[in-house]
Amino acid sequence: MIAYLTAIATLVGVRALLTLGLNVQWGLTGLVNLGAVAFFAVGAYTSALLAVGGAPLVFAWPAAVGLATAAGAGLAMVALRLREDYLAIVTLGFGEVLRLFLLNEAWLTRGANGVTAIPRPLHARFAGHYDLFYLALVLVVVALVYAALERLRRSPFGRVLRAIREDEIVAAVAGKPVFRFKVQAFALGAGIAGLAGILFAHYLAYVEPNMFLPQESLFVWLALILGGSGNNRGALLGSLVLLGLLEGSRFAKDVIPFLTGVRLAAAQQILVGVVLVVLMIRRPEGLLPEQPGSD
Amino acid sequence: MTTMTRRELLKASGTAGLVLSAPAILSAQSKEPIPIGTLCPLTGAGGSYGPDMQRSVVAVVERINKAGGINARPIQLFHEDDQTNAEAGVRAARKLIDVNKVVAIVSTWASAVTLAVKPLCVEARVFVIGVSGADSVTQGDHKGYIARTQPNTNLQGRMYAKFAVSKKEWKRVAYMALQTPYAQSFGDAFTGVLKAAGVTITDSLIYEDKKPSYRSEVTRVLATNPDLIMLEGYTPDSVVMAKDIYRAAYKGAVLAPSFAINAKFIEGVGAEVAEGIWNMDRAPLFDSPAYKEFSAAVPRGDQSPYAPQAWDQMTLVALALAAAKGEASGTVIKDNLRTVSNPPGTVVYSFADGARLLGEGKKINYEGASGSCDFDQIGDILSAPFSVQQVRKGKSELVMIINP
Amino acid sequence: MPPIAQYVFNGVVTGGILALPAVAFSLLWRLLRFPNFAVSTYLTVGAYVALVLNHGVRASIELAWLGALVVTGALALLVDRIAFRPMRDRRPFSLAIASIGVAFVLENVVRFVWGNDFRSYDVPVTRGMSVAGLRIGRDQLLILGVAVVLMALAQAFLLRTRLGIAMRATADNPRLAAVKGVPTERVIALATLGGGGLAGGAGVFLGLDASIDPLMGGGLIISVFAAAILGGIGSAPGALAGALIVGIMEEVGMLVVPPTYKTAIGFTIILAVLLVRPTGLAGARS
Repeated sequence: MIAYLTAIATLVGVRALLTLGLNVQWGLTGLVNLGAVAFFAVGAYTSALLAVGGAPLVFAWPAAVGLATAAGAGLAMVALRLREDYLAIVTLGFGEVLRLFLLNEAWLTRGANGVTAIPRPLHARFAGHYDLFYLALVLVVVALVYAALERLRRSPFGRVLRAIREDEIVAAVAGKPVFRFKVQAFALGAGIAGLAGILFAHYLAYVEPNMFLPQESLFVWLALILGGSGNNRGALLGSLVLLGLLEGSRFAKDVIPFLTGVRLAAAQQILVGVVLVVLMIRRPEGLLPEQPGSD
Repeated sequence: MTTMTRRELLKASGTAGLVLSAPAILSAQSKEPIPIGTLCPLTGAGGSYGPDMQRSVVAVVERINKAGGINARPIQLFHEDDQTNAEAGVRAARKLIDVNKVVAIVSTWASAVTLAVKPLCVEARVFVIGVSGADSVTQGDHKGYIARTQPNTNLQGRMYAKFAVSKKEWKRVAYMALQTPYAQSFGDAFTGVLKAAGVTITDSLIYEDKKPSYRSEVTRVLATNPDLIMLEGYTPDSVVMAKDIYRAAYKGAVLAPSFAINAKFIEGVGAEVAEGIWNMDRAPLFDSPAYKEFSAAVPRGDQSPYAPQAWDQMTLVALALAAAKGEASGTVIKDNLRTVSNPPGTVVYSFADGARLLGEGKKINYEGASGSCDFDQIGDILSAPFSVQQVRKGKSELVMIINP
Repeated sequence: MPPIAQYVFNGVVTGGILALPAVAFSLLWRLLRFPNFAVSTYLTVGAYVALVLNHGVRASIELAWLGALVVTGALALLVDRIAFRPMRDRRPFSLAIASIGVAFVLENVVRFVWGNDFRSYDVPVTRGMSVAGLRIGRDQLLILGVAVVLMALAQAFLLRTRLGIAMRATADNPRLAAVKGVPTERVIALATLGGGGLAGGAGVFLGLDASIDPLMGGGLIISVFAAAILGGIGSAPGALAGALIVGIMEEVGMLVVPPTYKTAIGFTIILAVLLVRPTGLAGARS
């Protein structure tokens, strides 16, 4: 049971990072991104391919974060001029095209086979209780990112981002280079998603393109909206509740014998969808609403 | 965790398994059940294959438990859905291993899922047996904890090619494949053999999944005037492809895997479109008692390509446990797998016969519903005979058996 | 090399199937001001409704198609009442997210009831005819014909009838239209009913042409978006033209890019249009 909970906690940590990244973009700055999974994938693949190719992790990890950030900045520069409904579609499409790229360009990404035998950091040193070590590593990263984002939120930079979210025009009139701030916020969020990807890839020791389907981006949204967008505590809580929901129904089914497997899986997904819709209608501020003026 | 609480947990969380094994519980009440997990795709891309595999496993376990279990211990099954998704598969496998304490995970499907759960199963000494075809599944140091009943793609490609070469009228061959982890390696093996035999490969096309039509893919391939189209896909995309090939008035031959050209396929496209399509697979021995028992126990199981394999996987795991007499663990299964599956030994076709002979101290050689089930050192099925079938008047009929 | 005309014709057929959901999606987007991701799932629902009628009560495929139109329209209306109506005054993105949730629920309800297996209607597949070197399928020609007639009807409705004109007025300026006495909610209800119906009907076409499974509609989503954006949000003839262009480019594109990148073609079209006109082709008016 401990090993199982360790695994779930590790994955909650990875999802929490993804949600924190999206919170910088949407929660803090009001930028739409339906392609969070794309930057997650860039981080995971970059680090995995470099590490498998023999690069030391101290080099592979910063390179992966860097590439995810750059990809975010690039997409932002092209797409952030768009109206938000178009932006939703462009970011969604970006994630899908990136997945096609990973699937097709086998010379670079190993294609549908995926990348196997990704090295696990310090595996030999922590043999025996490696999963606990890895969980600790993930939690430390989450804590550091959380602390940094809390500081950022209260900093002048964070105040500008929130001003842009509330009213872009007012912020522009106040003399802020709105577009530049938006690109920076988007890139930062993408970088954090890339970091999540790194931890994910080296935890599973295996990545393949279909881990990065569009519905993964939807789950990040669900976690953010569940917890309460705009505040980082909400992002953490949302990730925890989401995985609790997904894993909890796993145990529920062991005591409901009359449902077939397909029906149970479908029922679980129906529940996820219903929660999302009801939350959007009834409680768009989430479980932990952002405190007004909490800076 | 103490034994008491674990037992309570099993009781609380495993009503489904206990209902199935109730008769066995009555006959062997003092014995603790052996937990075994299934990890089939019930949703996602593999969702049309998983449910039948799971039904097959359940049917085997019902029979074993009714007959008194393995060395008087009933099997308790835990089912998880891998969602045809590696991450979901890892979470599910973790739960099976750490919460349900399963000794084996049977019937994984997607190569991606098997590859993702492989490291943690090897570490936890849990035996995994599935149908994933990618070569990398059985590669690497897995200490014997991985096996599969599906031949690796290289062997498949060479066997298909061997048949195609034997048909002298097929001088121009086109290869069309769904994008999967094995599309490339199957194609390389297949076209390699053909080219060496002097056959022209007119086109090689890998297509995207879940597309509403393949008209232009078909247009491109037919423009090269092939005598034979080798279509390497799954049932859902093969249905769309076969309809488009038929509409394009193609008059040549089509060869495909039998797991795609199954009864569901023929029902889906209609007898006329399916007429004449050649299909091949590892030869299930249709006349064998194992296949007969399987098709009687699993209604409509013969329509499912992987159900016979799932049947054999569960039977093999149970026989390997029976051979160990007492201890139940993943290690015991991997150590005994080849003892019960490979020659020498008396040929048996069911768990009941196998367990009885094992009890008498005899050696056995299980021959299953999906074929002979002999494994090599890395867990791959040993080169087995393939059956060639052709759809005639809405039914796939056996034409010949090809030996490697 | 086959004549490029065959690829173009293939694209026209693909475009014919895309056109119906593209028009529905485009009009609803303009009217309600958010991209409704559930439209693609209405195709799936329509296909299954017709399946029940075709297999269950042995209705002919034409009758089943009509049934799919009506039932899917009604379902779209119900969804609008439950999910979107309470959120009318929210920002577009919140509604878009809610519509993704709806799509997720509907797809899984279908899965819950019918499972994951693909299905087919009781309609035989026919060999295509050869016309001037082109291979043309009869079913495909019929699908194309019905799609064009439906498009013409939709356009006539928008241009000629009182309700149609009211709908366009609401789409252009909801406040002004409401002030002028246009019953906004009735207009929305009608558009939802019609849009859902069109998408449901298209689902039957898709099921006839390919096969029926819970994921069938979702696979078209990027192509449908591309068609609507290319045609200009809110324009029915625009969406039809957009659907044809997207269809043709996806098929002809096979000559240039590998078939495994088909989905990327739709996305490239979206990006290209929006880079030239960041507010979309019809954005200037909104």
